[in-house]
Order: sequence, then C-alpha cells, then structure tokens
Amino acid sequence: MDFTFSPEHQALRRLVREFAENEVAPLAAEIDRKHQIPFETLRKLGEIGLLGVCFPQEYGGMGAGETGYCILMEELGRVCTSTATNVGAHIGIGAMAIHLDGNPEQKRKYLTPLARGEKIAAFGLTESNAGSDAANIRTRAVREGDSWILDGGKVYITNGGFADIVTVMAVTDPALGARGGVTAFIVEASWPGFKVAREEDKMGIRGTSTAELVFEELRVPHENVLGKVGEGFVTFMKSLDMGRLTLGAACLGGAQAALEMAVYWAKTRRQFGVELAHKQSVQWAIANIATEIEALRSLVYRVAWMVDTGQTGQEFTQLAAMCKMYGSEVASRAIDLALQIYGGLGVTRDFHIERAFRDARIAEIFEGTNEIQRIVIASNIFREYGVRIRP
Amino acid sequence: MDASFLDLLMAQQEEVTEAEGGGGIWVVADVVNGAVAPVTLEAIGAARNLAGSLGAYVYAVLLGDGVSGLAPTLYQAGADGVRVADDPSLATFAVEPYLEVLSDLFQAEQPEVIIFGATPQGQALAPRIAQRMGGGLLEHVVAMTLDEATRTVQASVPIYGGEYYEIMACPQARPQVLAVEPGAFPAPFMDPYRKGEPKSVEVKPAEPRVRVLGPAEEFTPPAVPLSQAPVVVAAGRQAGDFSLVEQLAARLGGRVAGDRGARDAGWISPEQIVDIRGVTVAPQVYVAVGIRGDTFHNAAVENAHFILAIHPDPTAPIFQVADLCIEADPKEVLPALIAALEQ
Amino acid sequence: MRIAVVLGRVLDPRGIVVNRRAGRIFINREEYILQPADRCALEAALRIKDAASAEVVALPRTFLPDDDVLCQALATGADRAIYLTGGPLGADEALMARVLVAAIAKLGGADLILTGATTMDTGQSQLGPRLAEALNWPQVLNAWAVETADGAARAVVNAGAGYVQVEVDLPAVITLLPGALKPRYPRGTQLINIYRGVGEIAQALEQWPAADLVEEAALTPVVERRGQDFPPERERGVRLTGSPEEVARAAAEALRKRLPR
Repeated sequence: MDFTFSPEHQALRRLVREFAENEVAPLAAEIDRKHQIPFETLRKLGEIGLLGVCFPQEYGGMGAGETGYCILMEELGRVCTSTATNVGAHIGIGAMAIHLDGNPEQKRKYLTPLARGEKIAAFGLTESNAGSDAANIRTRAVREGDSWILDGGKVYITNGGFADIVTVMAVTDPALGARGGVTAFIVEASWPGFKVAREEDKMGIRGTSTAELVFEELRVPHENVLGKVGEGFVTFMKSLDMGRLTLGAACLGGAQAALEMAVYWAKTRRQFGVELAHKQSVQWAIANIATEIEALRSLVYRVAWMVDTGQTGQEFTQLAAMCKMYGSEVASRAIDLALQIYGGLGVTRDFHIERAFRDARIAEIFEGTNEIQRIVIASNIFREYGVRIRP
Repeated sequence: MDASFLDLLMAQQEEVTEAEGGGGIWVVADVVNGAVAPVTLEAIGAARNLAGSLGAYVYAVLLGDGVSGLAPTLYQAGADGVRVADDPSLATFAVEPYLEVLSDLFQAEQPEVIIFGATPQGQALAPRIAQRMGGGLLEHVVAMTLDEATRTVQASVPIYGGEYYEIMACPQARPQVLAVEPGAFPAPFMDPYRKGEPKSVEVKPAEPRVRVLGPAEEFTPPAVPLSQAPVVVAAGRQAGDFSLVEQLAARLGGRVAGDRGARDAGWISPEQIVDIRGVTVAPQVYVAVGIRGDTFHNAAVENAHFILAIHPDPTAPIFQVADLCIEADPKEVLPALIAALEQ
Repeated sequence: MRIAVVLGRVLDPRGIVVNRRAGRIFINREEYILQPADRCALEAALRIKDAASAEVVALPRTFLPDDDVLCQALATGADRAIYLTGGPLGADEALMARVLVAAIAKLGGADLILTGATTMDTGQSQLGPRLAEALNWPQVLNAWAVETADGAARAVVNAGAGYVQVEVDLPAVITLLPGALKPRYPRGTQLINIYRGVGEIAQALEQWPAADLVEEAALTPVVERRGQDFPPERERGVRLTGSPEEVARAAAEALRKRLPR
C-alpha cells in the first residue's frame, strides 16, 4: 500500500495551486458579486491544458487520470467554488460522457476541442419534472431519416448559457423508459432550434451559468448519437459517477480552505484575554472537522486511484456516491464552523466566508441530491444481501 | 592638561605605520556623492574587530576621481593603511576599470580577508574578485565571528530577508571575501588623531564593456499590488490632514492606504483598505497614522516586518502590535517626521 | 543562438514558521518552488526565443536531490535541460561556477547566460558575476527586461530613481530581478510526459554526472554551514517620548534602518 502522490501528480498540484492562487482566487469575490462567468480563467485553464486534465493525449487531453482531475478540482474548490463548478460541469460530466461512450470520430470531433478548452461543454439531463428521478425525462427525440428531431427542454444546466456542446438525454422510445428508451445525443449550441431560455439568479455559485435550455425541432444528425440508441441512461449514470467523485474533491478543497480560515481566526481573535484557539469548544470543533477532512481526502483519492487502475465496477458507483455525499456535508460543516468562529464578521458581505457559505449549499443538491446518494449507497449495500431497494 | 598638548601627544602616538608582507583585511570603499558611504566605515569597524583577534592590519581601498581627500576619513574609522586609485577613468562606477585596479592590487597584496559593502558596486565586484582569486564569498553579512584556529571568518547571512540567519564560512578558500549589509554593523568611533599616509595605486585604462544607451523612458516596472508593497503608509480616522500622510508616503517611497475610517472619510478607494476584509499586507515598513487598530485591521498587518504607529489615544490597540509607538496627534508629529526624513 | 538559463529551487517560505524564542524553524509544508528571480530569467529567455528563435538550455544553480526544477523548465518551454548529479547538495556558488562553466563548454558554449539576480532564501547574487568572471564575459546585473539583436543584448536596469537601457555584446551574463516579468505557466501535458518519460520532451532531459565535467577535487564544497542564528524576539509597543521634533527624529532614524534599499 502506498499513499504518496507520484512525482507527476505532485508537479501537477504545484502547477494547479499556483494557478488557483494567482489567477482564480483574486477574482472569486468579484465574479460572485457581479454574477459573471470567469471566461478569461477558463481560457487560461485551457491554454495550460487543464481543461483536458483526465482525457487521453490523443484527443488533446493531458492524460493525468482521475487523480489528476481530483487534484485540479480540490485546488480550484479551495479558492473558488464557482470556477470549480464551471470546470466540473465541463470536464466531469459534459465532456466525460463523450470520453466514456463516444466513438473515435466523435472524440476526434468533439472531445479534442473540449479537452483543449477551445470549446466548453455542458451536461443536459435535468428537466423540470425530472431531477433526481432522471428516468422521468420528457425531452423527445424522433428519428427522421439520418437525423433525430429533438423537442423539449432542460433546466438548471450548469454552463448551459454559454456552452458550445451539450450532451443531451432524450426519450427515443417512451414505451421502454429508462431501460432502453433513453438515448444520449451530442448537440451543438449553434444549431437551429437550440435556445437558452433563461439564466437563473442563484444564492450561491453566482460565477456560474445555470440555464434553462429549450429545444424546438432541433435536428441532430444520427452520427451524434452518443453510445447506442436506447442506452443513454447508462452513459449518463457512468458520467455522473465520475462527476460525483470529483465533486467530492472540490468539496475537499472547500472544506480545507474553511479549516484554514477557522484556524487563522481562532489564533488571531482574542476574547476574555486569550485567543479563541485556547477555548476548548473551538479546539474540539477544529479537531472534529480536521479529522473529517482527512477521512474525506483518503476516500476521494482512494476512489480516484480505483478509477485510474480500472476498478470501476459496482463498488465504484457506491464509493463515488459516498465521495459526493460525504464531501458536500463535510464542506458544509467546515464552512458553518468557520462562520461560527468568525462570528459577526462571517456573515458580512465583505468577507469570503459568507460567499463560501452560500456556495457550499448546492453541493448537497446537484449531481444527485444527498438523499439520492444515500439510496445509491444503501441499495448497493442491501444488494449484497439480496435485498432490492425500491425507490 | 592643556588640550593642545593632548592633541600633539595623541597625534604622535596614533601615526599609523604599515607592515610589510601582504595578508591583512582589506575594505573596498563605496563613495557616494563625494563622501565615503556609511557602510564602508561600518565595514572598517567590523574589520578592526577581526584584526585584533587575527593579528592583522586593516587596509582600505578608495577608487574614484578626486577621492584622495577622503583618505583621512578611512584612517579615522580605523584603517591602518589606505590605497587610493584616483583617476578620471574611475569617475563613474563601471565593472572593468574598477576590477582591473582591485585585481592587480590584491594579486600583489594577497589579502586574507576582503570586505565590500553589500551595495550595487560590491555586488558587482565582490564575486568577480572572489572568482578571479579562487576565494569564497558570502553576501549580505550581518554579523561576523572568527574561528581563530583556522583563521576563518564565520558570517551570519540573513535567510528569507532576515527571518533567521545561517552561519556560513569558507574555511579552505582564500581570500575570504565578504559583502556586509549596510547598517548591520555599528559605525566605528572616528578617532580624529588617527592619521596616515595613503599610497596611490596605478590605474591602467580598461574599457567598460557595458554601454549605457540612455534613459529607458518608455519602461515602467510591473505594478506591485498593495499586498506586496514593501512600504505602506496608512491613514486612520485620527490622521487629521491626509495630505501629510501622502507626503510621508512619497518621502518613504511607499504606497498610501488606510483603514475603514479613512475610506469613510473619503481619503482612499475601497482597494486601499488594509483590513482582513480588504487587503492583507506584509511590507518591510508599515506606518499607521491615526489608526486605532481593531482586530480586523491589526490582523491584516500581522506580517509587516516593522510597524510605526502614531495615535493620540495611549490605549489604542494599534500600540499593542506596533514596534514603535508615538502617542501624539499626527497633525503635530507628521510635519516634523517629514522634515526629519528629508535631512 | 543558445541561451543557458541557470535555475534553482527554494523552500516555499509560506510553509515555514520561525520561532525566534525557541531558536527553531518549523517546516509545516515542505514544498519547493523555482527561485522567483530564476523563474524571471527563464521567462526572459523564452521571450527571446519567441521573438528571435533561440535554443534555451536549463541548468541547475545547485546540485539537487531531484530534477523537478528542470522538468518545470522543460514543460514551460526550455528546449533542453541538464540535470547535474554527483555533487554536494546545497547552495555553493564558487563550486557551481566551476561545474557550470564546464557544463556550458560541453554544450558547445552559449551566447547568453540568464539567471536570477538574487536567491530568495540566502539572498546571494554572486553566481551570475562569478560565471561572467570565469568566462571573461561582460555582466549586467539586476535587469528588468532583456532583448537581443545583432549579436548584442539590451537590458533595462535601475539608475538612481529612474531606469536606463544598457547594451552589451554577446556573449554575456545577465541577471534578472525577481518580479521583473510575469512568468508563464508550464504546459500541463508536457509536465506529465516528462515525469512519465514519454514523448519527445522526455528526451530533452539529460543527466550529466559532475565527475565527467570537473575533477573530483573541484567538487569539494567551498561554503560550510556552521549553524543558525536568530534575531532577537520582536519587542512591540516601544513608546517614543519627547517633543514632536525629538520623537520625529528618533522615528525617522528607525525608519531609515528599516526601509528597503
């Protein structure tokens, strides 16, 4: 057993950390305040190759594996949740679907510019009636010669407002439902019939685009079917597993930053003649959260290692769900603790704890609510004992 | 006793005579605006301390145009011998002419220790001399001790700008070349009775290899953010006259900033607020003018290396974090401080 | 044109806490970064390469326990990197000047040597001028910017309160100030490939044993480290008393000592 990062991953972390501290952190407050997408940051990330961190080099990626991708997300999550979310939606679910199930021609045409950061991806699954209940989607795709005609729409699509390429899930056979009736498509945002209907105004991750997309007679060539017709649900679930792991990594970064802030203030702020660090209530809280963060770190990188060594069976789905669920909750607890230690300062708009607090909440919801993650985890556990859980 | 008699007596006693046979501790003088730079005098003082233990003489070397008149200063500071290279070709510093003079002199004299000031001139010359003569060099030396058994100088070199010191030595290499940090060693007692006869050094012409083309008018150095500025002068509610704060900053070559009170007064922009909710700074020098100093401000200056605080209230918390405190109305102190800095 | 860039590493000071009272240095996070001034030298070399085409060769300023610095230089755009092995670790400019001169000779010479004006930790600026002396080349120290044209290099340096442009014929040694240029980032793919030893870039990293360059005696350290010393603990809250003029004089004197030169 070896728990050390390889020299290449250590070098990658140095690069990413420096980039995060110099290029991302200084913008974090402003993009939140002004509700701006950090396009320039995304461009620079692409230039260095980080937007293709885990994709093969033959398709323009860096080839640093899932471990490399987790390092990227952890370091971005440490300084700016919005930027981490933009990147996560692009790499982790949008482009990931093409990486996992695209054919060589699709990868050459779509994954390559995405990995190089020349184009940005989004992942189109959620609908107003189908979020956690992903099988209940209503967007329809009807075959017409060499094309499919898509009608319907998606909501809460991260990067949706500006993505060039969206991987969209649509019903191709209503009779079959999720098992065989849903197909994944690669859609270009420039095609006629693709519309961005609105941008959500959100509590947190305000430096991201969360858009409602509308498809009206959107013609998609058959060659843009991702994977096999009718197997879209499998494609999307596999992508989401990857996304859940790396969301856990981003939460790890956020939790780590909160711990660092809490420690800083505990050693700075004096009350009743001593620094807060001398209060046992503070010490215990810090000790607890530091332990949780270490546990999360071990979990995230162990699961990343499993992916990099090809161990992506049923156990992976369960562990990825744990990364997402536990990660988002540890991050929320860490930030809540930091805010409590900062006291009144923590809730003022002048200070980044308040932003971190708003940013953290969504992680317990998107990419599958934590309730869904618990179902995934529990159903895997019970399956081992022969019990099939009904949703 | 008659003072003039004392003068006579001391003058006779302190007439410096030089020893033969090379070795010795040599100090290369920096001349700034026609005067010996303080660092040179400090170096001579430090050399004298070493000389006592080593049983060696201290020599100083003057280079320049019309610098012969400065030799008495070097004797007074403690030099036993002075060499002067006085030549129009040495009027402005350039590596090659200076280096040729020093190189010939040191090849002939074979010093045991050579001390430069850690100045631009010393930075340029010391490594050249050390490399040419096979010597060791330690730069930015702030303290020296002697390992008497091996006649080795042990020098303290600041690490990370003075967070701590590494004690280093070059026990095998000779000469031992040192560049001493200005202000690190005490100025020596200037003994008016120490006198000597400087010897002049032959100056062979050497062409400078670096050509100065002229002012780089279009060049502006990269902007340094306030968080990395080396000198910050910040105003608070009690600053009184903000234009004095700006004058002080200009005098110190520092950046103007302030606390939230200064922002409320309209003196500074939001980007200039020093506060953990604004900019956290870590300058070499931070001057807090009329800043009371709440936790949010004081935590943001925690990494400043030196803090001077001026505030009328003796109980102001800023005084707990400041190195140097002036309990007074800034309006009264600032004009005097600006004037004192101009001297 | 061949540009030799001499690069070193430094322990990131943000991972260090110095306890003056205990006389101890606590290393909380042992992470090394490229010496900031050396990184500017690399950037200056790469800008010359971009503008005028040049072969940029990275060399280490000390013997190093690993080749991270050189891998970073290659990933950032250097064409070749020479990892020197078999010498004593730690900064020793006199020793390294000998080794580097031999290494540059083995390269077949260079037209320009660029390196940092000063190291972040020990504050030493002697390596550049030592190389200039050993090679009998002109030196320009503490440059803000460098460009080359027609067998000469031009640099911007401080002069009094302003800046002047200076020119030297090549070959020459030029040292760059820390913060002079905003350095570019390494390219991620190249970084990964170097460490994996795959692709063309991995071939660009060579390992040269010092024993092949200089005689064994030349590898004896010149500098000896004999311990550490700590400044006195900071005494805060010292009050100045007297008339405004008196306190102003005392404060002015204290400030003068502390002001960066």
